[in-house]
Amino acid sequence: MDLVWDNGLFLLKGAYYTLLVTVVSMFFGLLIGMAVALARLKGNLPLRWLARAYVSVIRGTPAFVQILIVYYGLVDYGITLGPLTAACVALSINVGAYLSETFRGAILAVPKGQTEAAYATGMTSWQALRRIVFPQAARVAIAPMGNTFIGMLKETSLVSVITVTELLRSAQLLVAQYYVYMPFYLGVAVMYWVMSTVFSAILGMIENRLSKAY
Amino acid sequence: MIRTNGLSKAFQSVEVLKNIDLQVAANEIVILLGPSGSGKSTLLRCLNGLEEPSAGSVELNGIRIEPAMTKKQKLSNFREIRRQTGMVFQQFNLYPHKTALGNVIESLLVVKKMAKAEAVKTGEQLLERVGLADKRDAYPSRLSGGQQQRVAIARALAMKPAVMLFDEPTSALDPELVGEVLDVMRQLAKEGMTMVVVTHEMKFARQAANRIVFMDGGVIVEEGSPERFFTEPQTERARKFLNQLGEH
Ligand SMILES: Nc1ncnc2c1ncn2[C@@H]1O[C@H](COP(=O)(O)OP(=O)(O)O)[C@@H](O)[C@H]1O
Ligand SMILES: [Mg+2]
Repeated sequence: MDLVWDNGLFLLKGAYYTLLVTVVSMFFGLLIGMAVALARLKGNLPLRWLARAYVSVIRGTPAFVQILIVYYGLVDYGITLGPLTAACVALSINVGAYLSETFRGAILAVPKGQTEAAYATGMTSWQALRRIVFPQAARVAIAPMGNTFIGMLKETSLVSVITVTELLRSAQLLVAQYYVYMPFYLGVAVMYWVMSTVFSAILGMIENRLSKAY
Repeated sequence: MIRTNGLSKAFQSVEVLKNIDLQVAANEIVILLGPSGSGKSTLLRCLNGLEEPSAGSVELNGIRIEPAMTKKQKLSNFREIRRQTGMVFQQFNLYPHKTALGNVIESLLVVKKMAKAEAVKTGEQLLERVGLADKRDAYPSRLSGGQQQRVAIARALAMKPAVMLFDEPTSALDPELVGEVLDVMRQLAKEGMTMVVVTHEMKFARQAANRIVFMDGGVIVEEGSPERFFTEPQTERARKFLNQLGEH
């Protein structure tokens, strides 16, 4: 166990990269998810079809394969991304598909009468979405979004395979150096658990705050 | 003020409105009666552009909607018509995430781009007018059905509409709450508001209407003064409709 403490700083740096990849991917995933949800709900036929195909492909293939394609596969087409960039790109695209489903469901859960009331007072469809539908959809989406975020945190361990020195790969490097397994793997398991728990608590608080509003 | 010419509306291939010619003059109160499914809601929704006519035209204060127009023309005319009509729904459709005041001023802020302070002042006056000044900061979930519907009326009035459309405004209310909403509507009528009202409150219809329009099967079967309609209906269908009401 002392070995873990001695290398604590190294592991913390790994945790930092895990967090970085999670937050960056979540951020861009949110943007992608929002755009794709809107494309599916409001877009013209080709756009809707494209959005559906994207969601279907991403959800129907392993994240692991997607990461490999972005990092190794794209090189064949002259696109060379650094490991960290590739990780964020692949995971953003991945999580965007899942979030778009969450958002779509949440938007559809807002009763049609809400939009009609907004139209009836002269709002444009964009104004009605932004001012009336989105705030109500956000309440519906927040819990599944939180789950996606926690899932994301753990999924980042996959990018260790493309040499991003996040938490898991930090442990693997230490294992290779000291030839002991259990302390390091247990150590990072605990660190993942702590991060998940802290985020769950924060998300729980946000959820509470949101549900109290009305 | 309102004029429809040969207005027809079909969903898929089912014709719900057939060749409707309806005119409503300024300050007039027209009450739409008819059995359920006869197309009353659809007609109201056509009048403020929530539904698009399949054939014929709808006109409000000279703004026209007809199938021949380009999409862009329609969109801008729809928006203009909606700005000039207030709509009150059976299910209130208040915004649950906004307070009573928030509901009333939302479109003043978003559509009219009014300054917040001015909008709040206008909103407070409107809530006062429907007797809910003290509920200004209450969320809809904390209001009774009657109070919610009065807020919805205030919200519709905020845009200073030329016409108010009511689609069964009291049908979702407990009987003891119906009166307070009808009172607000009577007050509006007295102030000279032009109104088209779908309702099953026959007493109210008889008192408040300048004209009754009776619909059945997507057509206007009969129209006339309330006295005539209720005492000597001209058509068999209207007689049947009134008899059925009497049985309850
Ligand atoms: N969006 C819609 N799609 C298909 N049918 C509809 C739609 N809206 C209304 N209808 C049909 O149109 C007919 C008239 O409906 P409506 O205007 O609501 O009647 P009313 O308000 O008089 O009860 C009904 O048969 C109803 O099923
Ligand atoms: Mg109806």
